[in-house]
Amino acid sequence: MAKLVLPAGILVLLLLGAPMLLMLRYSFNIFDPLYLMKTAFTWENYAKAVADPYYQKILTTTIVVALTCTVLTTLLAYGPAYWLARMEGRWKSKLTILTMFPLLVGGVVRSAGYLALLSTDGLVNASLRGLGIISEPLQLLYTPGAVIFATVGIVLPYMILTLASVIESIPRQVEEAAANLGARPAQSFFRVLMPLSLPGVLAGATLVFILCMNAYATPLLLGGPQFQMMAPAVYEQFARASNWPFGAALAFILLIVTVVLTSLGSSVIAKRYKAG
Amino acid sequence: MTSFTRRSFLATASAASAFGLLSSPGIAQSKDLVVGTWGGTFGDLLKENVDEAILEPAGWNVLQEVSGPVPRRTKLITERTQRRGSMDAALLADFDMHAAAKVGALEELNADNVASYNNILPFLQKKHSVPLIYSAHAIVYRKDLITTPPESIAELWNPAYKGKIGLSDFLYTSNMAYSAIANGGTLSDFEGAEKGVQQWKDLDAKLLPSTEAVGQALSSGDIWITIISAARGYSWNKSGIDLGWVIPEEGAFPAVYEAAVPKNARNTDGGMAYMDALLNPRAQAAFAEKMGYLPTVKNGSISPELEAQIGFTQAEQNRLWQPDLDFIMENQASMLDSWNRTLKG
Repeated sequence: MAKLVLPAGILVLLLLGAPMLLMLRYSFNIFDPLYLMKTAFTWENYAKAVADPYYQKILTTTIVVALTCTVLTTLLAYGPAYWLARMEGRWKSKLTILTMFPLLVGGVVRSAGYLALLSTDGLVNASLRGLGIISEPLQLLYTPGAVIFATVGIVLPYMILTLASVIESIPRQVEEAAANLGARPAQSFFRVLMPLSLPGVLAGATLVFILCMNAYATPLLLGGPQFQMMAPAVYEQFARASNWPFGAALAFILLIVTVVLTSLGSSVIAKRYKAG
Repeated sequence: MTSFTRRSFLATASAASAFGLLSSPGIAQSKDLVVGTWGGTFGDLLKENVDEAILEPAGWNVLQEVSGPVPRRTKLITERTQRRGSMDAALLADFDMHAAAKVGALEELNADNVASYNNILPFLQKKHSVPLIYSAHAIVYRKDLITTPPESIAELWNPAYKGKIGLSDFLYTSNMAYSAIANGGTLSDFEGAEKGVQQWKDLDAKLLPSTEAVGQALSSGDIWITIISAARGYSWNKSGIDLGWVIPEEGAFPAVYEAAVPKNARNTDGGMAYMDALLNPRAQAAFAEKMGYLPTVKNGSISPELEAQIGFTQAEQNRLWQPDLDFIMENQASMLDSWNRTLKG
């Protein structure tokens, strides 16, 4: 059995572990405008990124956007997930496939679609002007709202499918028992269904939060150059400034913050659930 | 029937992947020619007018490796110590090519290895690269909205255009050069550039993420005035946007795109053939016609009508700046940092 795991293990080490170790090493080097970097072992890049208000602001924006998207996605996904989980018959599989359908289109393509919708002369503005609701086009593109709206649209299927699979495993009789004992629908939801589905909420929220923290195409295309999040900032250091050491340090800061916040969130919610 | 177990499938798949990974460098044959370039319209024009029109009939098989300019420059610099590089020819803007030449990554070019080398216009001739096309990052404006043509750089900070000044994020080097000159700096120190960028921010200048976004913003009237290549002004004008462009009295940043052959190219002969093909008058005329860039060779001819639209007068030509490429190379990262902090912070 262990031998069967070996090829996949080697591939993961080669394709994920090795590049990350290399990046970690680069993050301690010193930038050189001509030769890209000089070999060194300094914490300078990390210190600069952590102490600099410019990068603090980018990290804060990233966390706020990721948290907002996670909360909104959870709220928006719970209803459809419950409906899908409790559905029976041939429509269930069709709707499950339909939920997954947006995932077949890449994030960049979807963001390009949102560009056509939200630009000054895009579909939304043209429709509102056509209906006489507005006279001047609204600034919809290159705003934080556009980024949050599009990101939620992208991650929603992950949350719906994760939640649906957990809700499906909760016997319907549990809800019926709660109703028989006099619980109102809201009580049944908050006291019975919600605690039982919490592992699904946690799993979905973790997945969505990680995806949002690392969002690249959506903030870049819909947020415009003035809206800064961490993944585009990392890319900018590599692809525009040629500053690989600083880009690598930013990438590891993003990784560490994501891991810490995800673990912290999971343990706080799990503790609260146990206490309740 | 042969049984195909999961174990044998895994073994076969691993072996096939390993074979694919190991054998890829061997695919390149002596007539294969890998060209690192931009994609889109630029890549299509190269394919149609250089690859298919000149090199393929001569037996070369051209493969375009499309990427952004900085990754391409990085490849040239980082691969220079390897025996074999990944490109046989690379195309870059002059300041990016300068960095690659500076670290000794490029072959020396002359009339012996590039037949058309002596046809290059003298002011564009260089030791390690050939100029493919050139224009200038001029002031481009909506003629119907700004009825008096802007003559001075100062017009880019005219309060009357508050909220209607566009800045291409991509062209931060040129934008900062303009800003430096407008604020008493020089092309060798960019002194005062930050001040001008801050003033743009105060005037609610719109920062646009790509050249295409600048075109769309000009078209919709979101912006009225910007700094972009005169060649773009010409091609957008052809697409129906009422645009004018000027080389201001203080001068303008030249936009020169170059090509070079890496010292460790797998196919140096192919790379040299590519350099020669780029200088072919037919290819040069196609770039002028389609994209509005000027020929870089003495024997490149374009029609007088086209020349009148995209060409520069001698006075304008004389006003084009000569950027300090060493300064740009040394300070590009800090320029980008300053640009970002002022406009995006």
